[in-house]
Amino acid sequence: MFLYYVDLAWRSIRKTPILSLLMVLAISVGIGITITTLNVYSMMAYNPAGERSEQLNAIQLWSQGPDSWDDFHRLVTYQDAMNLRKGNVAPAQAAMFRSGMAVQTDDPEVLPRLQGIRVTDGDFFKMFEVPFVYGNRWDKAVDLDPAYQAVIGEKLNQKLFGGENSVGKTIYLNRKPYQVVGVIGDWNPQPKYYDPTSGAFAKSEQIYIPFSLAANEEFSVWGNSSGWKHEPMNNYQDRLNSEKVWLEYWTYLPTPEDRAAYKNYLANYVEQQKELGRFTDNKSPVDSVLMSNVDGWLERSHVVPEDNKILVGLSALFLSVCLINILGLMLTKFLKRAPEVGVRRAIGASRGQIFSQYMVEVGVIGLFGGLVGLLWAWGALYALSARFGVAEGLTHLSMSMWLITPTIAVGTALLAGLYPAWVVCRTKPSVYLKSQ
Amino acid sequence: MLNIKPIFSSLLRSKSGPVLLLVQIILSVAIVANASFIIHERLEMMQRDSGINEEEVLTFSVFNFDPSIDGEQQNKIDQQILRGLPNVQAATSTNMLPLSGSGWSSTLNLGPDPETAKSTPQFAMYLGTEHTVKTLGLKLIEGRNFYADEINKSVNDPGKLAIISKAFGEAVWPGESAVGKLLYVDDEQLEVIGVVEKFQGAWVDSDELEYSVIHNVDFAGYSYMVRAEPGQHEALQDAITKALMKENPNRVIDDFQSVAEVKKRSYRDHELMITVLSMMVVLLLLITSLGLTGMVMFNIQRRTKQIGTRRALGATKGDILSLFLVENYLICLSGGVLGASLAVLLGQQLMKYYDLPQLNLIYPLMTVVGMMLVTTVAVVLPARKAANISPAMATRSV
Repeated sequence: MFLYYVDLAWRSIRKTPILSLLMVLAISVGIGITITTLNVYSMMAYNPAGERSEQLNAIQLWSQGPDSWDDFHRLVTYQDAMNLRKGNVAPAQAAMFRSGMAVQTDDPEVLPRLQGIRVTDGDFFKMFEVPFVYGNRWDKAVDLDPAYQAVIGEKLNQKLFGGENSVGKTIYLNRKPYQVVGVIGDWNPQPKYYDPTSGAFAKSEQIYIPFSLAANEEFSVWGNSSGWKHEPMNNYQDRLNSEKVWLEYWTYLPTPEDRAAYKNYLANYVEQQKELGRFTDNKSPVDSVLMSNVDGWLERSHVVPEDNKILVGLSALFLSVCLINILGLMLTKFLKRAPEVGVRRAIGASRGQIFSQYMVEVGVIGLFGGLVGLLWAWGALYALSARFGVAEGLTHLSMSMWLITPTIAVGTALLAGLYPAWVVCRTKPSVYLKSQ
Repeated sequence: MLNIKPIFSSLLRSKSGPVLLLVQIILSVAIVANASFIIHERLEMMQRDSGINEEEVLTFSVFNFDPSIDGEQQNKIDQQILRGLPNVQAATSTNMLPLSGSGWSSTLNLGPDPETAKSTPQFAMYLGTEHTVKTLGLKLIEGRNFYADEINKSVNDPGKLAIISKAFGEAVWPGESAVGKLLYVDDEQLEVIGVVEKFQGAWVDSDELEYSVIHNVDFAGYSYMVRAEPGQHEALQDAITKALMKENPNRVIDDFQSVAEVKKRSYRDHELMITVLSMMVVLLLLITSLGLTGMVMFNIQRRTKQIGTRRALGATKGDILSLFLVENYLICLSGGVLGASLAVLLGQQLMKYYDLPQLNLIYPLMTVVGMMLVTTVAVVLPARKAANISPAMATRSV
């Protein structure tokens, strides 16, 4: 019966090609715009941590004095990061910041190139599930006792060493030799949730070096540094001793008990620091610590810009205009065919059969609209990345959209078709039989 | 005269069609009004004058990676080289690029005692030399530029001077001349010696974009800005790279871009928003007019006999045309009024949840006017067809 209805629908569509085309066009434009904005939004709102979202916690501390910042800063001071590292309470933890240096190899042909570098602890790779192609993270001992070792990305490995296993080889960062201990695979979480402060959709770094080297090597800071009071900064040591915040601090706390215990530990830590004359604002130790899981962290980092939320809202309204539009067109079309319905009813078709026949027709139109809409969306996304250089990760049509689009399209079409189909199935056969 | 009463009562009787149109127009007005308001607001934002000669200023970064390089000394030599290059009108070091979205920002105190003194609003803290004003093409309207011997090596050196933007001066000392005024970092003072007419900071979305201060420090080793005719930028890139590499090869010279390019990138998201919203407005008007046409066609079909009867009873073609026009104007106007109110409501919601200013009433009004135009076009075509219905239709098949 369904197939018969589909056949009837197809015939009816071919009988009124322009009106049908208008309907398909109206749905497709609405769907195209909605899917485009929805796609960008869903890519931005994506949480790359997956099931680890609860377990990874970024630490924020209210280390500022009274009458300064109104909110928790997303970064922490070097002193706090070092103290928490020493405390070593979490099963895994990593302090980090972004730096950059000129990279060279033993090959004089390779021109020095400036590279963004992540300075972090060895647990970073385990916490964020970074895949290794060759070698592994540096030894845990290196996090306490610095060594000149580096983990590099597959892409850089391709450029510097032609893609071969480079573990044990040397790279020079600002002319200092570092031994490669590992090569990581293609790893580029979008949004870059472990450090959205330096560009939420920036690519992940291609070089990772131990945080324990920072104090000796005085790596320049390529991220944010903020201070709430005036502190002279004549040298790197001043930076390390200051109340300036410039580091991210992540912990891996697998169970709710771990998290509760860690929060407790942090509160105790703040209390201790208060006694030492830091954390001078009159906030209780418990209120001076904030642990955000990945969802919360992305929210606090405003990874999804307001503009995108506005666009999704407006395009949903746009879709509803298209829906009303096709509703009107469909009413026109169906009523035009009322005489035909009259004949079918007279021969014995029930109201329910007429109703379902028309719903099938509407559904077919919706499906076509959805397919064309998907094409629009694909084109629009392509144009966005070509014309505006929007990050590739955002303009890639997500696989789920292949499922979502037809669902929305057919769904809205059926919704719009309900009323016209209902009107037409109430047609009294007698009226039309008489006038023929 | 326009027979509004019978048209109105006939509208009330045939519910579904007009109601659909009404809802569609209400929604369209609400969307178009808000969208065009946002578009206009963003356009205005992008057209603000930065005070900088954006096209002519070429910026780039120099990264000295050899630890044995004396940064300060190298910085001096590099700037000498830059100023000696042909076609370079001026050159200077800087700690940050205007309109780039990253850089230094700070506040200062108005008195020496940090406990009691009021502090200034946040401002962009440029570190620059006696060449900065000329390089950027800023317009000095009061006071003087730095002298060459006044330029410090570090932000901590005494003898702190500042050239500020006029907007910053007006915000801190309203109604007074800023020249000669003092600002404080704890008990160290910084004297304002000059005012430029306009000089934007680095963050285009910030409320404090117009507040800038140039501090007399020759900041060694990050970014440089040179001024040259835009047509010479490409040749200059090579010349700069070659000259600086010849002086010392242990560095990476990169990121050549004009301030105009930097600015374009910073406003890219706004440009994107404008494009998407404009597309939405155009498509929406198109869809609405198609819908209108469809509905009018439907009405004509349904009322063929009625129209024939009216024609037979003496109505002219013009009467029929005006019947449809008036009918749809009625719908459009009432839809417009309701839509405008919805637009204001929607605007209030957007303002409440997002960082958008109050919707200006001119936008819903303009949208309603636009809708009337669209209605006219969409109705006239099918209505002319209706006017051509022959009176004989009335007598057929009754």
